[in-house]
Amino acid sequence: MLESSRQWCLFLLKRLGFLCISLIGVSLVTFVVTHQIGDPVYLLVGPKHTQEMLDNMVRELGLDQPLYAQYCRYISRLAQGDLGVSRYTFNPVLSDIRLRLPATLELSTCALLLGVLWAVPLGLIAGRHKKSWAAKFADLSARAGASMPAFWLGLLFIFVFYAELHWLPAPLGRIGRGFEVSSVTGWYTIDSLLAGNWRAFGSSLRHLVLPALTLAFTTSPSILLITRNTMAEVMKSDYIRTAKSFGMPPQTISRYAVRNLLVPVSTMIAMTYGYLLSGTVLVEVVFTWPGLGLYAVEAMNHSDYEPIMAVVLLSAGFYLLVYVLSDILSAIIDPRIRVGG
Amino acid sequence: MVANQLPEFSEARLFTRRSLYSRMVEANGAWRVHLNLALLLAILVLGVLAPLLPLQDPVKPDPLGSLRPPSSEHLFGTDTHGMDVFARVIHAIRADFALALSSVVIGALIGAPLGALSGYLGGWFDNFTTRVTEVFQGFPQILFAMAILAAAGNTLLNVVLVVAFYNIPVYSKMVRSVVVPLREVEYVQAAKVASVPTLGIVFRYILPNALVPVFSQLPLSCAYAVQMIVGLSFLGLGVTIPTPEWGSMIQLGANQMIFGHWWPSVFPGLALFLSVWLLGNVSDLLKSLVVRRS
Repeated sequence: MLESSRQWCLFLLKRLGFLCISLIGVSLVTFVVTHQIGDPVYLLVGPKHTQEMLDNMVRELGLDQPLYAQYCRYISRLAQGDLGVSRYTFNPVLSDIRLRLPATLELSTCALLLGVLWAVPLGLIAGRHKKSWAAKFADLSARAGASMPAFWLGLLFIFVFYAELHWLPAPLGRIGRGFEVSSVTGWYTIDSLLAGNWRAFGSSLRHLVLPALTLAFTTSPSILLITRNTMAEVMKSDYIRTAKSFGMPPQTISRYAVRNLLVPVSTMIAMTYGYLLSGTVLVEVVFTWPGLGLYAVEAMNHSDYEPIMAVVLLSAGFYLLVYVLSDILSAIIDPRIRVGG
Repeated sequence: MVANQLPEFSEARLFTRRSLYSRMVEANGAWRVHLNLALLLAILVLGVLAPLLPLQDPVKPDPLGSLRPPSSEHLFGTDTHGMDVFARVIHAIRADFALALSSVVIGALIGAPLGALSGYLGGWFDNFTTRVTEVFQGFPQILFAMAILAAAGNTLLNVVLVVAFYNIPVYSKMVRSVVVPLREVEYVQAAKVASVPTLGIVFRYILPNALVPVFSQLPLSCAYAVQMIVGLSFLGLGVTIPTPEWGSMIQLGANQMIFGHWWPSVFPGLALFLSVWLLGNVSDLLKSLVVRRS
């Protein structure tokens, strides 16, 4: 196939244009929720107020201006990284989020890795041998994982491994008390390794394993199913039949088949990752994992919704970014995509 | 169905329209169909008849009898307020299924016509709705629901509306994918030539084709909706204690889990797990009815 840089540029431009338009859409939605559905004025002035206080607050927030002007103000604030101030912690929301983002990223990345390591091999085997016990097991575990409420599974794990067996520490935070790890990446597992502190590393790993397993089990079914289904489809295709009739060894046939799985499976993995950043909320609450989700829930309990909206904006943006990146990755893997779409 | 498994040829078989039920049994095996449908029906009937059944009062606290383990008197034990967990698990079916079902129905009623119109009309309207649904599917569900409920007020109606809102893109996307290939089909062209108004073509001639896919999606959407509603009430949004509801029950028992009192949380979670599992299975059964047009 003739590679032309023009096609590449066109493709990238299209995807980036989609990203920009979607981000504008997301900001429009968050703007409508904060400025139209909720009335920030009443929340700010409190139950005891005079008409004058109300009017002043309206003017201060710029709510007397036309809608498009308000939206422009909102966007320019966002562009400067100003996500508002939490009315509970009195910190700028951005600095709160900076502290908590690594915790969520650490958890969701580990969960994704575990899920992929579990789902992809099982899906390959199940798709290759459709009637084997592995296929039945894959079916059952996918349905179980998709039906299981993640927070409930987390509670079960806590009951078994903490309350009954005492194998793992109490579900309180990311690391045992008394460990000091200097923050480099914000990932306690990596930071403690960098510092050479093996006991801190063990402690953080023991805190991480249950929430990561919970999330891996409940989010991997989609990866498992798409791996199994595309594998089963590819095994039925003509070129595999030809390869079989030529008497190719099974490993070679598998290698031929797997190449065609790269695009759908990597797209699904990326989408799962995009979902995980916000999908951790309930599990973070169960394990009191100090990440973005717990931050948003704490803010909600203090009816403080600037932080919630900031987290919503961040996770929607992260999802879209991962989505577009996975599109570009697919185009690198499969030339047909960048030519056709 | 694979070609070599075609049933024996007979005229009666060829010319009578077989019922959906017999097609479902044929595609999945009688055993699977009956078991799944019977269990799901049993759950629904238990929920509907809950007030008539000889259960203990689900909202009566008993401060002296709190956190009793499962026994013959309290089958699933009692929670921190001394309320009977078994009665509450059964009564909770009502709240959870009613909320989930109403939100899914609202979502489908808005999403299906929207998808049909955008698929049939095409052009900028189609582009616009597709883009908007793409953006919304990227929104973090629980977090966004939390934000809306924090802004608009924590009421049951708002919970239903938020969950319904998440179902709109599901149905609009699905109906659109059914409608687009039908745009050029002869009978639709004929209706156009006969100057049937556009809305008439869409709703009378095209939309009925989407009924089977839509109905097979309903149980799956209900499963997701139940999960989301339970998740929200686990966070204290929507249904609150003492109304029997699985999420708030799990929340109430969560703090007891580390002390080894497992029953207040485990049983409602098990009920949720079982219902979602069955709804998923039933949705799979119904999906086997969808005729694929090439």
